[in-house]
Amino acid sequence: MQPPLDGARTMEALDAALRSTAADEFEIAVLARSGEYTRFAGQVIHQPQDIVEVQYLVRALVNGHPYRVATSTAADLDRAVAAAATGARIRAELSKEAGQVRLAVIDAAATAAGTGTGTGADVGAGSPPSRPVAADPAKPQAPYWYRDTEAYDVAARSALAKEAMATALAAGGEAAGMFGRAVTQQLVATSAGIRRQIAATEASGALTVTIDDGTAHWVDLSRSAGRLDVAGSVARAVNQARAGRGRVELPAGRYPVVLGAEAVGELLGFLPDVGFTGTLAAAGIGITAQAGQLLAAPLVNVADDAGADVGLPIGFDIEGVTKRRVDFFRHGLVGAAVTDLATAAALGRPSTGHAHIAREQVPEPTAPNIVMPAGPGTEDELIAQLEHGVYLQRFWYTRLVDRITGTITGVTRDACFLIESGRLTTPLNGLRFTESVLGVLAGVEAIGADVRSQPIPNVWNGAISAPSVRVAAFRLGAAPIEPAA
Amino acid sequence: MAPTNAHLWGDLADDEAAAALLGSAMSTIDSRVEYGDARLVEAEELRLYHQLDRDPDERLEKSVGIGVRVLVDGSWGFAAAPLSDAAVPAAIAERAIAVARAGVGAGPRVVFPPRPAASGRYQTEVGQDPFAVTTAERDALLAQAIEAAAASRGVSSVTAGVNAKRQHRHFASTEGSLQHQHLIETGGGLTAIAASEREVQRRSYPNSFHGNTGGSGWEFVLGLDLVGNGARVGEEAVALLSAPMAPAGVNDLVIGAQQVSLQIHESSGHALELDRILGDERNFAGTSFIQASDVGTLRYGSPAVSITSDPTVAGTRGSFGWDDEGTPARRAGLIEEGIFRRTLSNRDSAARSGLEITGAARADGWAYLPVCFSTHVFLEPGAGSLAELLDRLGDGYYIEDNRSWSIDNRRLNFQFGTEVAYEVRRGRKGRLLRNFSYGGITPQFWNSVEAVAGPEEFQTFGYPCGKGEPKQWGFLSHGAAPLLARAIRTGVA
Repeated sequence: MQPPLDGARTMEALDAALRSTAADEFEIAVLARSGEYTRFAGQVIHQPQDIVEVQYLVRALVNGHPYRVATSTAADLDRAVAAAATGARIRAELSKEAGQVRLAVIDAAATAAGTGTGTGADVGAGSPPSRPVAADPAKPQAPYWYRDTEAYDVAARSALAKEAMATALAAGGEAAGMFGRAVTQQLVATSAGIRRQIAATEASGALTVTIDDGTAHWVDLSRSAGRLDVAGSVARAVNQARAGRGRVELPAGRYPVVLGAEAVGELLGFLPDVGFTGTLAAAGIGITAQAGQLLAAPLVNVADDAGADVGLPIGFDIEGVTKRRVDFFRHGLVGAAVTDLATAAALGRPSTGHAHIAREQVPEPTAPNIVMPAGPGTEDELIAQLEHGVYLQRFWYTRLVDRITGTITGVTRDACFLIESGRLTTPLNGLRFTESVLGVLAGVEAIGADVRSQPIPNVWNGAISAPSVRVAAFRLGAAPIEPAA
Repeated sequence: MAPTNAHLWGDLADDEAAAALLGSAMSTIDSRVEYGDARLVEAEELRLYHQLDRDPDERLEKSVGIGVRVLVDGSWGFAAAPLSDAAVPAAIAERAIAVARAGVGAGPRVVFPPRPAASGRYQTEVGQDPFAVTTAERDALLAQAIEAAAASRGVSSVTAGVNAKRQHRHFASTEGSLQHQHLIETGGGLTAIAASEREVQRRSYPNSFHGNTGGSGWEFVLGLDLVGNGARVGEEAVALLSAPMAPAGVNDLVIGAQQVSLQIHESSGHALELDRILGDERNFAGTSFIQASDVGTLRYGSPAVSITSDPTVAGTRGSFGWDDEGTPARRAGLIEEGIFRRTLSNRDSAARSGLEITGAARADGWAYLPVCFSTHVFLEPGAGSLAELLDRLGDGYYIEDNRSWSIDNRRLNFQFGTEVAYEVRRGRKGRLLRNFSYGGITPQFWNSVEAVAGPEEFQTFGYPCGKGEPKQWGFLSHGAAPLLARAIRTGVA
């Protein structure tokens, strides 16, 4: 298991490219990923895949006017640099004024404190070790590099897939899912002297078990394969699917609920949309206008945290800025927005290191490692605390309905049950819901200990990590809303 | 067909040079696999965004690589990598074989019926090469659109963008197929946001989801009239802040073409994907309420509802000559006068189900496996104008432009919101209403369709879409004219 690029040689290539004087400044970010995926359904590994993707993203600046050019091969890098410079120069010539864009500068003091933009000092950090150095494969051999993920190879994943399919078949059902691992590489070099690079392992597992009308789902990802507990998760999913047969309809209404870790993660994924991004904050839209106010339950803490040991942390962004921890809620109090250089400048603050470019979208800051810390109790203990309520394992196809109230709509999916006398009893059909994420966070009464991570679609190395929670009330069913007076 | 200048760019414009690279992969796998194919793709995408009070942001992204798929001892394998040098095709072919071998014995052998080779060349017809348009012209258009949308007091944010993509897509298979496709697509759109202390409202044009993109040149963008429509949506965004709330109840609706196109995407296109129907996607994208055995018997919609897949229609984001496993583009009636007739299928899913191949194997560039995606899938138009449809509606609501969308994993239980709604009384549009939503069950909804407007009201919208694990993008299109549906549940969110 090797990174897709030779880190040292790639940095040399970036150094050479940055000698260009065709523009005032340059920034080059390299995003590379070598992924291996064992995808299965029914009784077949139907889509085993081995994919390497590389992007060299060059940004040139002329008199504050930027232009980006990307390419997929090192051989094309010089052309990309020249094209970016030409684009920036044309933009500068078209404009009567200096542009607003500034690239990151080295902040030595902040770097020493671990909060600012880096320099050459951290070149090589996170690269795989050249020789075995640790006996414990579950401990990182370098930041973000886990040897146990190296062992999660195609043979291991294929064996796990076969076992999952066989276990589900023996229970009278079927399993479908994907087990994968990857090496992510990120390098940033700028004409201001910033040099950053990281190579990180990644392991993932996802599974749906279907037995008659009962289904159950599991997903988790980590830099360390040893934290996934694939075999245990398969067994739990089979048991949940078996218990989920004979589903009934739940009448619409408001219920006390225990939300599984995956359901909680889905809700937290909407926090950027309700205002925790520099784009919205700079436009004066959303929740950060209420910074410091108590809008969530006091036991709720949620942050974007590249320093967390869960999810898919990477310590710096594509502009070469070190990621700062950004609290969205701290003891229930509203926190701040993640920013990139542009939105930070608009807000008059330093960047938090969250620059991102999603495909087909405007570049804007993104929270790629959202984390809600674990609480003291297990999920079973949260369920035991409810005399009567509902357990919801997972949400599906959730969409924002109202940005101000944080209202979303979606459906429940997979293992959902009535809770009676502290136990899961009758399995429930999937149900539409329309509910406020902010309202749910305000109603959190207990937090579980079982943090799991799930990917954020269309976000580079994006993950949300959350535990299960118990919430005072959750509206289920498509009850018509009352028209405004 | 001789290449036009718009297709003469990059390293893989030359079909013979591309064939040589594909040949390297083919010769590596030829005698060692039951079946194999290779896709060599060079793509370049331009995106320019203007935002209110921000510097323009423009990027040009190029990618070139190869993906090789093989069937070895009844087991699939796939590998892909950037084309960094001429040795990559053979190396990736070897890797694909190794990946396949790791899965041998995991289950029953995959059966993949052979078929005759199909070879040739296809290219998008382009009026004006979007990559030849000057930066100054692109900038001027978007700056004017931003200014027009922001002219209304209360507009707090405007984003306008144009995009263009050109691709050389080359395909070869061990059955002898050799296909060369040279594609261009161009698009644009804008979004205006108005905000007050208690309300945020968005208006978009021409589509709230990534604007609109067609298989065409810069003339597609010029035809959008972004400036004129920018002024309109800016005014409407502000007007929505103080508009009355849309009602809850059971109501008759005329649904505009853009919203119908999304309804088709979510409740027809995805529901008819055969790999999803067979369970291949159940872990992530989900399954379908439709079964393979329902072909020919399921009443999916009313007799007014006919839905067709036809990538041979030129100029759409779902137009092509062959799909991504080499099946020639063809017209296929999916729903005919309300009856389910065909699925969106690929070779593998068709072989397993015994259903016909409709040529819907689509892959995002070179790096991902082909899976079943929509092509150009559209609701066949009926007759009459929008005004006539509103007249037929009588009392109800006219709704347009998607605001939010959600549907369950079987593509059955849906809920959509629209950016605008207008009260309709005696066939005349009246008050503007905010936060309209409607919901229902897919076949009940399509069976409630009483009429579809005629070809003069038909519009096509290009979409991106996500599916698969790892998730990949699909690029496709849906066409529709406004439709009239009776007794729809509204005001659900």
